[in-house]
Amino acid sequence: MKIFPSCREVRERLTDYTEGTLSFRERLSLRFHLLICAACNAFFLGLRQVPWVARYLLPPGEPPADEAGQALAGALRHRGEHRHPTEQG
Amino acid sequence: MTEEDLIEQAAAGDSDAFGALVSPYLGLFFNGILRILGNRADAQDALQNALLGIFQDLPGFQARSRFSSWAYKVCINAALMFRRSNARFREESMDVLPGLGEFDRTGHHLDTRESLQWSVEPLALAEAERSQLRECLLQALDALPDAQRVVFVLRDLEDWSTEDIAAKLDQAAATVRQRLHRARVQIQERLRVHIQGRAS
Repeated sequence: MKIFPSCREVRERLTDYTEGTLSFRERLSLRFHLLICAACNAFFLGLRQVPWVARYLLPPGEPPADEAGQALAGALRHRGEHRHPTEQG
Repeated sequence: MTEEDLIEQAAAGDSDAFGALVSPYLGLFFNGILRILGNRADAQDALQNALLGIFQDLPGFQARSRFSSWAYKVCINAALMFRRSNARFREESMDVLPGLGEFDRTGHHLDTRESLQWSVEPLALAEAERSQLRECLLQALDALPDAQRVVFVLRDLEDWSTEDIAAKLDQAAATVRQRLHRARVQIQERLRVHIQGRAS
């Protein structure tokens, strides 16, 4: 990355920035750009919120779908058909 | 009957106990798999495989971890296995990324987004708005190329490390980060349009 990267270069590297994989010089260049470019800073703030927003909107404990019940029924049926004769239950 | 009792009986081959054991978590398991595969029929098949695997491996389950956490990992692995064995997923394009914005030939931005502050405060959303935004997010996830969606789901929803994802998917960490970035940019763009539309 150049010492004074363009908006495009900055936006292409923002995940590398948040993942901590940029060199010290690259990190400094990018931070400086974000300080002076309101558009890229707004873009960055939005991008940084995406994981949090996604986790909020898609919580893990959702009600089971019909397909989940069918999968369980299928698994039990398959298990019953292929169970070894020595198995208990 | 406690979960420990159900585990013990299911491990001995009791199908009813197994059903009772996994039923409270079926939604968790199905949705985790669905986010990776992006297709309900595939998710049902992968969940069925996962449940069979859980039933089979239950005698070896160590109570050091919670049953639901252990079983969930089995489900995620089953989804990744299913994905690997299925060649009809959407390929990704490495063309220009539209959500990145518009630029002049020197790379300087041409958009006017400085006036649009990303000011989503999801906790403050009414239920109807939250539902709309959620639908928008699901559409955005569905529109992503498979390789990007999987990385996004594992990293940002399942909280895997980049290194673990790279190892599991047999990709370089840099490739994982690139796909994650493209996924985030496109999701941000979809949500931004939705929020902008709502505000106007």
